Amino acid sequence: MKTLRYGILVILGLIWLMPAYLLVVNAAKDPLTFTSKESWIPTDFHLFENFAAAFELSGLGSSIVSTLIYSIVSPTIAVLIGAAAGYAIVALRLKHGFTWFVVIFGGSVFPLQMILLPLFDAYSRTGMFDTRVGMVIIYTVISIPFSAFVMRNFFTGVAHSTFEAAVLDGATTWQIFTRMYLPMASSALVAIFILQATFIWNDLLLGLTLSQSDDIRPIVTTLSGMQSTYGGAQMSTVLAAAVIVSLPTVVLFLCTQKFFNKGLALGQY
Amino acid sequence: MAHQKTPYQWSARGFVAPGVLLIAVLLYLPLLWTVYLSFTDYNGLGSPDWIGLDNYVEMFTDGDFLASSLNTVLWVVGTLIIPVGIGLAVALLTWNLGGGLWLRLPFLIPYALSGIGVGVVWSFILSSGGALDQALALFGIMDPPRWLLDAPLNTVVMIIAAAWQGVGVNALLFTIGLQAIPKEPLEAARIDGANGIRLFTSILWPMLRPLTAVVVGLSIVASLKTFDIVWGMTKGGPGTVSETLALTMYKETFVNSDYGLGSAIAVFLTVITLVASVTYLRQQLSPKKEF
Repeated sequence: MKTLRYGILVILGLIWLMPAYLLVVNAAKDPLTFTSKESWIPTDFHLFENFAAAFELSGLGSSIVSTLIYSIVSPTIAVLIGAAAGYAIVALRLKHGFTWFVVIFGGSVFPLQMILLPLFDAYSRTGMFDTRVGMVIIYTVISIPFSAFVMRNFFTGVAHSTFEAAVLDGATTWQIFTRMYLPMASSALVAIFILQATFIWNDLLLGLTLSQSDDIRPIVTTLSGMQSTYGGAQMSTVLAAAVIVSLPTVVLFLCTQKFFNKGLALGQY
Repeated sequence: MAHQKTPYQWSARGFVAPGVLLIAVLLYLPLLWTVYLSFTDYNGLGSPDWIGLDNYVEMFTDGDFLASSLNTVLWVVGTLIIPVGIGLAVALLTWNLGGGLWLRLPFLIPYALSGIGVGVVWSFILSSGGALDQALALFGIMDPPRWLLDAPLNTVVMIIAAAWQGVGVNALLFTIGLQAIPKEPLEAARIDGANGIRLFTSILWPMLRPLTAVVVGLSIVASLKTFDIVWGMTKGGPGTVSETLALTMYKETFVNSDYGLGSAIAVFLTVITLVASVTYLRQQLSPKKEF
């Protein structure tokens, strides 16, 4: 029985690794001798040259810098705003707190399609279209509902007497938030940050709608454009670009897997 | 608890305000504007003309829209059966098995990829004469189907590509659910001789029910919004045959500049998604009854 289970899992696992194998092998082929007729056999190792070429193509390099900014700045702000909301609702016992929570969390239940056009329109009229600030703002807002959701859950688990004790010591609500509640929640804050950073790094739709120039466009949007433009002639370079775009999130995800296993088991985000 | 004094109301309002304001201005306001636009004729120039339900009438009588709705249904059903099913299978197979973490790893790697990343890899594999066709040729199949060119085959292979990406997270969620099952009833069932299928149907499946509702809810909501993988593989084509609702909305709005019709499709998609989400939200917000 156990052997059978191992057998099935190994075969299934190998099938699952196949596309990743094909991606890496073909991303490493010299564009000059590349042929789409022999995909399974590695011919040469041109991966780093292809990486370098991909960086130049379609301005992928500058797009990476922008995407790094988006996926670091936006989740950081969103996590703090979400934590503040959770703190107000749970620790400060905001009146109608649950209603306000639903108002914030409700922002995440409808599809992005519902806001794309007005955002595009408003961004165009206010000069925020195709700017880094505009992108940071919308990515921040998109990340707030989830972080408020997790932080409210997290703070519910904190005994209210901690808060009362700090009040008796003469601390203001701001001090209690920044010096007690935020540090105490650091693991939850990091977890939200990682999940939202990954989400932003992988976003296509907002990038497609709200930006157009090479150095503002987020990386996935650039990859998509690259695929349409160079997919025929420079396939191995496009595949190399796909590797560059994918590596950070895969590495981040694998490194934090244990952390999330634990976090999910404890908190059920 | 409920009647306790709440002396920090002003401070609390201050803490909740940034989140509420940002969400109101950048999510709810645009949302209402889209609802309004769905009743108008508008192409971005001049001002919107109120035309009542015309966009909705046009939408429901349009063959392309109906095809796109059908594709979306195919996505919802397909991603329920394949990634959720295989995810559960992987979780059950690795459950209490030495090295389970490593055996699940191949399934988790694709999960971290972007939809476009998946699209680039799979359209490369499925291209005519590409990796899959070469493999089939080894088995003597010289005239393989045109994977990405014929409907509904192209939607089916894209669902498989999405399954490749989505199995890992479902396996992870089910694994967490299995780990949370208390040991005693399991031991008791084992002593009574329950094993394999019997153990699964009588103990594991009922215990996994609340989690399954969440996984299914997440899967339905996500698949209704399918956009990235299709954009990365066929862009909805050839023509419009592999479009999903999310794609049709995008094309009507930003390619055809028919803002009213695009908004109507967005509203339709949202209503369906909300109905599906309510199930999921209930599960998440209600106090945990099980375990």
